[in-house]
Amino acid sequence: MHTHMWKQIRDRETGKLHANHFSNRVKSNRISQLQLSNHKDIISPHKGAINSLQIDSTEGRYLLSAASDASVAVYDVQRPTVSEAAAAISKHTSILVVDKQHQHAHKYAVSTAIWYPIDTGLFVTGSYDHHVNVWDTNTTQVVVNFKMPGKVHRIAMSNLSTSHMLIATGTEDVQVRLCDIASGAFAHTLSGHRDGIMTVEWSNSSEWVLVTGGCDGAIRFWDIRRAGCFQVLDQSRTQLGRRPPILKRSMITKDSSTKLRAAQKKHANGSGSRQLPIGRVPSKGPMKQRLHPGMLSTQDRATAHYGAVTGLKDTEDGMYLLSAGSDSRLRLWDIESGCDTLVNFETVRLQINKPLQLATTQDSTLVFIPCMRSVKVFDMWSGNTYSILRGHYECVNSCWFNQQDQELYTGGNDRQILVWSPARSIADEMDEGPAEDQDNWSS
Amino acid sequence: MSIWNYVVTAHKPTNVTHSCVGNFTSPQDLNLIIAKCTRIEIHLLSPQGLQPILDVPIYGRIATLELFRPHGEAQDYLFIATERYKFCVLQWDSETAELVTRAMGDVSDRIGRPTDNGQIGIIDPDCRLIGLHLYDGLFKVIPFDNKGQLKEAFNIRLEELQVLDIKFLYGCSKPTIVVLYQDNKDARHVKTYEVALKDKDFVEGPWSQNNLDNGADLLIPVPPPLCGVLIIGEETIVYCSANAFKAIPIRSSITKAYGRVDPDGSRYLLGDHTGLLSLLVITHEKEKVTGLKIEPLGETSIASTISYLDNAFVYIGSSYGDSQLIKLNLQPDAKGSYVEVLERYVNLGPIVDFCVVDLERQGQGQVVTCSGAYKDGSLRVVRNGIGINEQASVELQGIKGMWSLRSSTDDPFDTFLVVSFISETRILAMNLEDELEETEIEGFCSQVQTLFCHDAVHNQLVQVTSSSVRLVSSTTRELRNEWHAPTGYSVNVATANSTQVLLATGGGHLVYLEIGDGILQEVKHAQLEYEISCLDINPIGENPNHSHLAAVGMWTDISVRIFSLPDLNLITKEQLGGEIIPRSVLLCAFEGISYLLCALGDGHLLNFMLNTSTGELTDRKKVSLGTQPITLRTFSSKNTTHVFAASDRPTVIYSSNKKLLYSNVNLKEVSHMCPFNSAAFPDSLAIAKEGELTIGTIDDIQKLHIRSIPLGEHARRICHQEQSRTFAICSLKYNPTSGEESEMHFVRLLDDQTFEFISTYSLDTYEYGCFIISCSFSDDNNVYYCVGTAYVLPEENEPTKGRILVFTVEDGKLQLIAEKETKGAVYCLNAFNGKLLAAINQKIQLYKWVLRDDGTHELQSECGHHGHILALYVQTRGDFIVVGDLMKSISLLIYKHEEGAIEERARDYNANWMSAVEILDDDIYLGSENSFNLFTVRKNSEGATDEERGRLEVVGEYHLGEFINRFRHGSLVMRLPDSDVGQIPTVIFGTINGVIGVIASLPHEQYVFLEKLQSNLRKVIKGVGGLSHEQWRSFNNEKKTVEARNFLDGDLIESFLDLNRGKMDEISKAMDVSVEELCKRVEELTRLH
Repeated sequence: MHTHMWKQIRDRETGKLHANHFSNRVKSNRISQLQLSNHKDIISPHKGAINSLQIDSTEGRYLLSAASDASVAVYDVQRPTVSEAAAAISKHTSILVVDKQHQHAHKYAVSTAIWYPIDTGLFVTGSYDHHVNVWDTNTTQVVVNFKMPGKVHRIAMSNLSTSHMLIATGTEDVQVRLCDIASGAFAHTLSGHRDGIMTVEWSNSSEWVLVTGGCDGAIRFWDIRRAGCFQVLDQSRTQLGRRPPILKRSMITKDSSTKLRAAQKKHANGSGSRQLPIGRVPSKGPMKQRLHPGMLSTQDRATAHYGAVTGLKDTEDGMYLLSAGSDSRLRLWDIESGCDTLVNFETVRLQINKPLQLATTQDSTLVFIPCMRSVKVFDMWSGNTYSILRGHYECVNSCWFNQQDQELYTGGNDRQILVWSPARSIADEMDEGPAEDQDNWSS
Repeated sequence: MSIWNYVVTAHKPTNVTHSCVGNFTSPQDLNLIIAKCTRIEIHLLSPQGLQPILDVPIYGRIATLELFRPHGEAQDYLFIATERYKFCVLQWDSETAELVTRAMGDVSDRIGRPTDNGQIGIIDPDCRLIGLHLYDGLFKVIPFDNKGQLKEAFNIRLEELQVLDIKFLYGCSKPTIVVLYQDNKDARHVKTYEVALKDKDFVEGPWSQNNLDNGADLLIPVPPPLCGVLIIGEETIVYCSANAFKAIPIRSSITKAYGRVDPDGSRYLLGDHTGLLSLLVITHEKEKVTGLKIEPLGETSIASTISYLDNAFVYIGSSYGDSQLIKLNLQPDAKGSYVEVLERYVNLGPIVDFCVVDLERQGQGQVVTCSGAYKDGSLRVVRNGIGINEQASVELQGIKGMWSLRSSTDDPFDTFLVVSFISETRILAMNLEDELEETEIEGFCSQVQTLFCHDAVHNQLVQVTSSSVRLVSSTTRELRNEWHAPTGYSVNVATANSTQVLLATGGGHLVYLEIGDGILQEVKHAQLEYEISCLDINPIGENPNHSHLAAVGMWTDISVRIFSLPDLNLITKEQLGGEIIPRSVLLCAFEGISYLLCALGDGHLLNFMLNTSTGELTDRKKVSLGTQPITLRTFSSKNTTHVFAASDRPTVIYSSNKKLLYSNVNLKEVSHMCPFNSAAFPDSLAIAKEGELTIGTIDDIQKLHIRSIPLGEHARRICHQEQSRTFAICSLKYNPTSGEESEMHFVRLLDDQTFEFISTYSLDTYEYGCFIISCSFSDDNNVYYCVGTAYVLPEENEPTKGRILVFTVEDGKLQLIAEKETKGAVYCLNAFNGKLLAAINQKIQLYKWVLRDDGTHELQSECGHHGHILALYVQTRGDFIVVGDLMKSISLLIYKHEEGAIEERARDYNANWMSAVEILDDDIYLGSENSFNLFTVRKNSEGATDEERGRLEVVGEYHLGEFINRFRHGSLVMRLPDSDVGQIPTVIFGTINGVIGVIASLPHEQYVFLEKLQSNLRKVIKGVGGLSHEQWRSFNNEKKTVEARNFLDGDLIESFLDLNRGKMDEISKAMDVSVEELCKRVEELTRLH
């Protein structure tokens, strides 16, 4: 239910509506009105498919885009390039472009470009030319360069990190590599996937936890302070009956899937005393390493999707993980238990051979999924389609949601970057000029 | 102003957010504990009513306040959790009368999203664990061990995402919670869970109940023997337990608060959104619940908390009106109400708007607030200092002293007022017409100056002149006895009480006389080494007519001495230091503590604690009251003794919480004062000032004076118009019977003296008043009220239509002169270059005032500026426009005259959700935002690049912990040009919690000094519950937490004055500045508010 904006401002003023609740309501109200922006245009200089989009986390001001023509570009989304006071639509052209003309430019498609999380002085690119470059934004010079064993599909840095400067990279290779900007060398490699890595994502709850999705259909959780992965998501583990009533509890455990029982029996390592709640870990602190070392082979072989995992997105609250696969499925995982929440996202058809960049709103109510030429907006908890954003002429690859402005940016193979924003009232577009007054006057 | 700002509270929060009752200060004491957002107050229930015991700040916004009793304890502990995820457990130490921290910690989590519906903190009735719901989907458990100590906390996943309330159930063998929640189809249910402490998980509980009232919002757990829970909805109330379900329909209402009456939980008080108090009764046969009954009791303030105290006494805490102490009578009154309001506790919150005016034109600001909400809306006139309400005055030049005298010893009233001049003494008395007229007391010598006068025992009066002491009968008015000064000596100073006279003659002779029936007897004589400058024998011991101590101030060695009476033995000698002689000494007692006050010739006042048995002086403190010599005099108001310090800055000295406080009197200069309690002017003071003798009554003795003007409706915006001497407000009246949708909005005109509505303009249906200013336009001499409105249509999310209305005041009536339709809500209006600047939805729009052919005026749009999400708050200065956006912080626009255009000059790119803005000076702008922070930004005109110039640089950040609705330039205190603080510019702010605060821009040197003092104070003054001041004041919102900078916490700094000497010394040492100097500098700051 959306109450009137003006009333909400009044209720905030009297304290009837708590300030925090007020801003959340306004945000969700605005998000519910997303449409192709009638007041903001981003002019893309790219001559190839747009592969990734990201807004800096410090000011929410600079959009970084990476494209298949080996170029990256930066736009100021807050301040129009040409300031025309009367113009109803503000235009944002790139304020920085690194393309093939640049001496250090990538040779092939740039698959990801990300900001250094602390400030916009650096950004990092990963390319099909097997390189990960760290750029100085002001001089557009490469300051650190990492040579990877294959095409780079996805790179990521932790927004939470206070103690490391690691770039997690997913490439054609089966190993996840952590590139350390501080030392300019590989910190370590994470082995476990049986095929190339399509997507990497840092946890929103711990700076040490990394999630990766591979072409082998596996989603692996790593605590980078320890060797090996500590959790592999299993599409057959679901949240059904996770907290049974006390009387039914014993029955449920008997009835649960055989796979599960097998895992747990072995896991009970002799003590065999009492059935632990499935997959629960103590909630204090980061995930404890329960299944590792010596994680069971059944667990280790589990898959989250049939085919490749093409997209991962950790919710802002750090409690859920959304995954997309080349099986055209979307799954919402409860991170703590590692169970599939069984939210059934109304069937989608997804691109299968490319990493997809998914987005969620801050309050995790809506998710934005590139679905071929459109972006589907789903209600996170019901999986129902909330709306379909149509505007791209070819497949969409990436979505970035600007939490600060409640704007969605999408990039696709049509080389366009589209802005989806809360509707501005039509009245606002009709400028109240003197001319209009003149009319009223004479009448 | 500057970027170095000092933030201080002038009026503390008064919004009562929580309250609870228990045995906290001792097993026998019944205490009421009240939380006012960032403060807690502890009261003791006594036969006289509520007696305050402690009032302390909490370094956090209180989210939970609960009393609980661990196993084996005889009294309760207090659990407090703050909105920034700190918690503490407090215990009362009766020896030191202080709060002791039993436990504290941080319960924040990396994961989870903060709950929208407020934080929940609950304690298991069997004290096995504390439960917290702080993030959606998580229930945090802090278990107790069997010794009552807290163990490590853990989270349990809560599948219900939209939790409305959680309570512990009574009488369960395992701790059991009941959860009221809403599903994603907006239906509401309750569910129970057992907390399995060992497994750190929930187990499905004994029962659940689906599909409750859509407005169900509150759970009340019922104690044994009945157990179960009450679910309070808008249409029904349900009792639910494992084996019973009872429901009753109720009159549609939203229950805001409840209080349990009986320990067995069979009766509850419920307070609803309209201020109706009802009694809910669970009828039962033994332990079997048979039904529910509800009965309305009467009206109170709209309750935010209800605490049943004892014997039908109930405390009603309110967020929207004054809090109350009420009594529930057995029989209804004439209006059918069972509620009797015994006491009201002022609450200014929520202050949604205010203006600063100088109605009395004294050079002192007063704040008029729009306070309260709904039916409890009011205007409050807040004034600093103590006012004198003039009753009569006569022109009299050259008064040298004044004393009031009674016509007989047991007459309750004063009859005579003795006024002394340089060469004569005149006596005034009340005549039969209750007029003051000159009279005579034959026995007095009226051709000379009187040095002192007093009533004496046996119906006598005493007059001291330079040559003699005369004892006169008050009935016959004839001289009965006289003591003559030795030849060659004249009396310089003298004092007396009913039985004693002490005087000093030249040459340091001190003479002590005693008064008998017709007898004046010289009892003792002493010769001191220097001349005596002042003396006092005010009785402060058990005998009100006799003192056994005398205080004497000396020339030459600049000392004050205590002598014993009658033998005039020197007991104590205290060197005052410096070269300024004491001009007035006074023995006095406040709240059972004896003091010696000693005023110096330069306007400073020293005070000492006086041990009346040993005469010892301790705890010396020095304050500056003015710049001229001070005369001290005691007076009584409301049966309490206070001291009046007459000087160029008259001050009343009083005591509160056993601490001496100084409050200025709203008079310019007072040379003499004496109490004059006559039948015609009871409880009055006679005041000599600037060639005038005034008789007047004095306000209640407190620092801030608040006058309430109840409106019965909610005033949202206010402004004052000097020319018409009126206030105009935008207000709304709710019609409670038909829900919130039916509101009526008005523009009302009020007389600025009587505050009566003198004219009203009703707005259209669905039209809401948003803003009001008083302004004038170019080429037009008239002054107008301009009102911005919005049409709030039920089918719209955002207003698409509004109006600007221009009124004049003619013959005390609002006359609509012009109106202009707008394409959205007019959130803000400013007078701007002789034009009108409006903030309309996303746009800033400038209107000019155009004269039409027919001689009427109209508003015509000139230019505008797009690009805001919502331009809610706008301030202007010259051609600059500062906009506070809904969510995009502050931006600076400039109006270009030549082009007739408004352009953006710079912007702060932080994502601050604004609540108010103000321009401090040309370059520095102040903002407050949604997460209770303050910040300043600076224009960077000298930046090297466009990018730099286009960015407002954040220069100050601070967590205030209060939601500010309004800033205004101005001051609450008289700004005296001679004082240092008189030069410091200030901004006043008003908040939801009823805080009035002051932001003062300091010179850099002073800022640096105080910053050092603040960091030293942090080490010495520990926050209640071990909460850190540094963390509390750190700027904190969803995006970031950074240390406070360029703002100082005046409340902490001024608490230096409350420290004991030892701690002051500690700080003095660390600062390498004398205690006196520190006191002086901090005292100066207290004058800012």
